[in-house]
Amino acid sequence: MEKFKSIIRDYPFIAFIIAFVILAFVPSVVFTDVYQSHLATLIFVNIVVAAGLNIVKGYCGQVTVGHVGLFAVGSYTAGTLFLYLGLGFWATLPIAIIVTAFFGVAMGIPSFRLEGPYLALATLGGGEAIRLFIENGNFFRSTFGISDIPTPSLMGYNFDSPDRYYFISMTIMIIAVYFSFSILRSGVGRAFMSIREDPICAAAAGINVKKYKILAFILSAMFAGAAGAVYAHMPPGYIHPNNYTVIEMVTFLAMVVLGGLGHIWGGIIGAIVITIVYDLTRPLYKYQLLIFGLTIVLTILFMPKGLGGFIDRYFLEKRFKKKTGTEKTS
Amino acid sequence: MILKTKQLSKSFGGLKAINKVDFELPKNEIRGIIGPNGSGKSTFFNLVSGIYDSDPGSYIEFDGHDITFAPPHEIATYGLSRTFQLLRLYQDMTVIDNVMSGYHTRVPYKFFDAVIGRKKIWDQERAIKEEMMELLSFVGLADYAELNASELSGGQRRLLVLARAIAMKPKLLMLDEPAAGLSPVNVDNLMKIIMQLKEKYGLTLIIIEHILKVVMDTCNSVTVFDHGQKIAEGTPAQVKDDNAVIEAYLGKKMDDEEMRKALAV
Repeated sequence: MEKFKSIIRDYPFIAFIIAFVILAFVPSVVFTDVYQSHLATLIFVNIVVAAGLNIVKGYCGQVTVGHVGLFAVGSYTAGTLFLYLGLGFWATLPIAIIVTAFFGVAMGIPSFRLEGPYLALATLGGGEAIRLFIENGNFFRSTFGISDIPTPSLMGYNFDSPDRYYFISMTIMIIAVYFSFSILRSGVGRAFMSIREDPICAAAAGINVKKYKILAFILSAMFAGAAGAVYAHMPPGYIHPNNYTVIEMVTFLAMVVLGGLGHIWGGIIGAIVITIVYDLTRPLYKYQLLIFGLTIVLTILFMPKGLGGFIDRYFLEKRFKKKTGTEKTS
Repeated sequence: MILKTKQLSKSFGGLKAINKVDFELPKNEIRGIIGPNGSGKSTFFNLVSGIYDSDPGSYIEFDGHDITFAPPHEIATYGLSRTFQLLRLYQDMTVIDNVMSGYHTRVPYKFFDAVIGRKKIWDQERAIKEEMMELLSFVGLADYAELNASELSGGQRRLLVLARAIAMKPKLLMLDEPAAGLSPVNVDNLMKIIMQLKEKYGLTLIIIEHILKVVMDTCNSVTVFDHGQKIAEGTPAQVKDDNAVIEAYLGKKMDDEEMRKALAV
């Protein structure tokens, strides 16, 4: 066991390969109908967005409410590339990621001067502007939405149904989570955190605050772009501006807050829980926003570090007690 | 000379917080900076570490680099580290992360390697962590490494910011009131640790401190600020007897004649 642990520590991607194999067997063993595969794909898309949002909001502390706009950029880059050039998934995915990264730079520039609620307002404007631009432009098929975006195929095998597309979304999710873990566990993640806690002190410690802020925005935009492209190509391949409203943004925020702001697992736990709750409460759709709003408020009040931090705390106190023999409560 | 300023000035509106200060500091010296509140000591630190931009005509040189217009993160890479009067602890990070974030300028790997997550990264990260744990146990905080910094007591926080500032292995360490709010026993302990660190890492020190005993006991030389100007400089003994210093702290020395005049109704 110890040996296994040290191997994982040196080569973390082995853990991700194991996760890949386990998840690959989930549909055939656990799922009973196609809808569950569809839901799983949604969860994976949300995990990618939330993992990206956790970088910029949870780690770097930049309050962005325009992330759904970046998600829309990813989707519509994929959608329009198909519409006008007939490109497939394997071409649109990398282009969507790159295009969204540039939008991420634009979204990040206000963070040089603004912080907290003011930055939130600026990015909210940015995100809404993107949606309105799409909704009112014939180029993007305005409110008709773009339909029949094809599913990807690989070596003659077409991932054309939800239970087949599951494998595409799962692969992208695992790669994205792997990258987010490597980034956040390294010195880059620490630099992000120091900027969140105290930008002046971070600068005095040799961290280039502007560079790292824009880096956080670019990275999280790339995650959102990848998620957007995966979402656009998801069967039945239909995207509409109404899927990218502030309501979706609140859902993404609820994921990161519930999972744990600045916790490495934060976005992932939150995305799983919120997506499932969202689906189960579909009959109560009138109250869904109320529920998410309450979730955010109650989490911040009673578990400021979210589910992830809550679980961490439990183990930490246990370890501390074992090490020093004293009770530590605070 | 490791640090040199010429005609260093900074005004906030009409207030001249620092007024034409010439300052020179040789290597391996422990320099104390004293002066009444509002005399410009902390502004001087902020100017040197690049957090404030100095007024036109100023010149700052650190270790052979002209840092007059350099941003703070660049100055840090030259080897200048500082602490803050208000600590500026990373409250929501663990103690070990606090110290490791001070290591930033010395992190050996490139960003791209970190994204890919190569084995060499994790080896280096572990080496950094070990080195920083050593530093933590040196200042006596090793047991608290995994706790949040906000859970430490006042004295422990002072030690933690000291460890965080040392983590980058600076050439010059600027301490802004390191002992403020500590009990006399803790002050002695802290000064002992600072002196040991100075020996261990070959530091040059500048210390702002209001506890005069600390300054007089530990510093090789003392600079006195008042109203943004340098009013005296020299060994602690020289400064103690300087008229300008006494005037700044206690008011003017008067002879009997003047006293009688001042008291006459």
